[in-house]
Amino acid sequence: MKITKSAKIVIIAFLILPVIHLLVFSYIPILANLYLSFTNYKGIGTPKWIGIKNYKKLLTDTRYISLFKNCLWYMLMAIPQLTFAFILAVVVNGKFKGLNFFKGVLIIPYLLNGVIVSTIFIIFFNNSGTLNTILHFFGIMNTPQWLQNLRIVNPSIASISIWRYYGMNFIMFFGALQTVPSELYEAAAIDGCKKMQEILYISIPSIKNVLFINILLSISGSIQVYEIPYIMLNGSNGTTTPVIQINQSAFSDNKYGFAAALSILVFVIVVIVVGLQRVITKKGED
Amino acid sequence: MYNESKLFKTFRYLFLIASCLFVVIPLVPLVFMAFKTGAEYSATPVLVPPKNWLNFYNFAYAIRVGHLGKALLNTAIILTVSLGIQMVFTTMVSYVLHRFNFKGKRIIMTMFTLTMFIPCVTTQTVVFQIIYKLKLVSTIWSLILLWSGVGIVGIYIMFNLLDSISKELDESALVDGANYFTIYRCIVLPLLKPACTTLLILNGIGYYNDFYMPNLYLRRDVQTFTVALYKFFGNMATPFEIVSAAILIGIVPIGIAYLFMQKYIYYGLAGAIKS
Repeated sequence: MKITKSAKIVIIAFLILPVIHLLVFSYIPILANLYLSFTNYKGIGTPKWIGIKNYKKLLTDTRYISLFKNCLWYMLMAIPQLTFAFILAVVVNGKFKGLNFFKGVLIIPYLLNGVIVSTIFIIFFNNSGTLNTILHFFGIMNTPQWLQNLRIVNPSIASISIWRYYGMNFIMFFGALQTVPSELYEAAAIDGCKKMQEILYISIPSIKNVLFINILLSISGSIQVYEIPYIMLNGSNGTTTPVIQINQSAFSDNKYGFAAALSILVFVIVVIVVGLQRVITKKGED
Repeated sequence: MYNESKLFKTFRYLFLIASCLFVVIPLVPLVFMAFKTGAEYSATPVLVPPKNWLNFYNFAYAIRVGHLGKALLNTAIILTVSLGIQMVFTTMVSYVLHRFNFKGKRIIMTMFTLTMFIPCVTTQTVVFQIIYKLKLVSTIWSLILLWSGVGIVGIYIMFNLLDSISKELDESALVDGANYFTIYRCIVLPLLKPACTTLLILNGIGYYNDFYMPNLYLRRDVQTFTVALYKFFGNMATPFEIVSAAILIGIVPIGIAYLFMQKYIYYGLAGAIKS
């Protein structure tokens, strides 16, 4: 199509505001952050260049390394979360009664906000809470202080993400399985294929890509954990994550330069993970 | 289906029921608690149902003290305005990028695509200062402004539908003397409605539940529902049974949204992963 004058007008009119928004609230901030990360900017005055001092502090001080160690717990919890969701999707795949009801129940945690989830799990991990009540019922009396014991507080709150995202992951896997052409199953049935073989040779290979993408989404989510540890414990008991620290450094301690360096570090990790995801999605399409 | 044994069918339901119990059990005490009196809450175990299911005292108290009505109203205004602008912008950008070939198109498309590499948590230190300079901190306009931008997921959802709308429709309208603005408004926009609904639900739930941004930008008495709930919850003097009641109130809008639009939620989840 030849670009006429009126086409030019519509192109500019429709793009100008969204593109300005994009520049002002995404690109300029990330570039400004990159610059500020090499300075000791305090929120006011002119930033002073201090080289890689901020990054050096981040990568050598054990206090800051432990921020990323906490993220590892969230990644670890993604393993049972994705495994069980994957198994459930593969096992229940098919048409059956009550599917919508089960989907409806399993999606509930995805629809609840972080404050609600935090409240639920404060009650859950409480000394006389849900978890201990159940454990006591089965005769397990020697239960730890789930949220006060410094050695188990991080796995405790990280395990909440299993509950929160398990159903959503199931629905994604299940949805992907529905796109597998039913002729494939019919042909397999004619050839005398057993249910187990059907699962192994048709269902699992056909949703491998969705599984990989979900793994990477979980990793990039783990780096950006904020809500649950912040709301439940305000980052105390050693549950601080990189994003909590960014906000703490920038908005409470006025160490914008340092917060910028931490932001860039999180950014770099996300770029790597999302980049991998893009490569895999592209491969799946070819 | 085809070769499913009885044993297999039993297995399927056992798995599903176990999964549902896993989801529901942590929620049960919350529902029980909202109907218990303060004394009852401290005297009975969490998994024991309340004596009186018609005890609405906690709900009334939560609404009165937590300013929940005001917070819900703020949330509604923010969501309506920002999502409204976002829909207009997203359809405009998608229409132009999909239907026209022009210099710089690739650059602009790439710029929108690359935003998926920039999580919002990594830019807020600077964005906050911009919003501060604009004197918008602690006003609903901060969130409206930040949430009215165009996201790449939205563009992808629109593109999927635009692919299936024939270009000939535009061209014949052009021959009939319509200009591009009329084509956008009278042909493209109505056809994009289903895609808009999907995006609306997906982002609507996301923004309604978001805690990070409202907590950062709304620092005083103007609050969204999530922040009001957090203030309530963070204040240790608020008894748990009141917080539980407040939470049940907050679940109502999202529950209604779900009941009417579940199809779009599932569709949106599938669409979000493909992009």
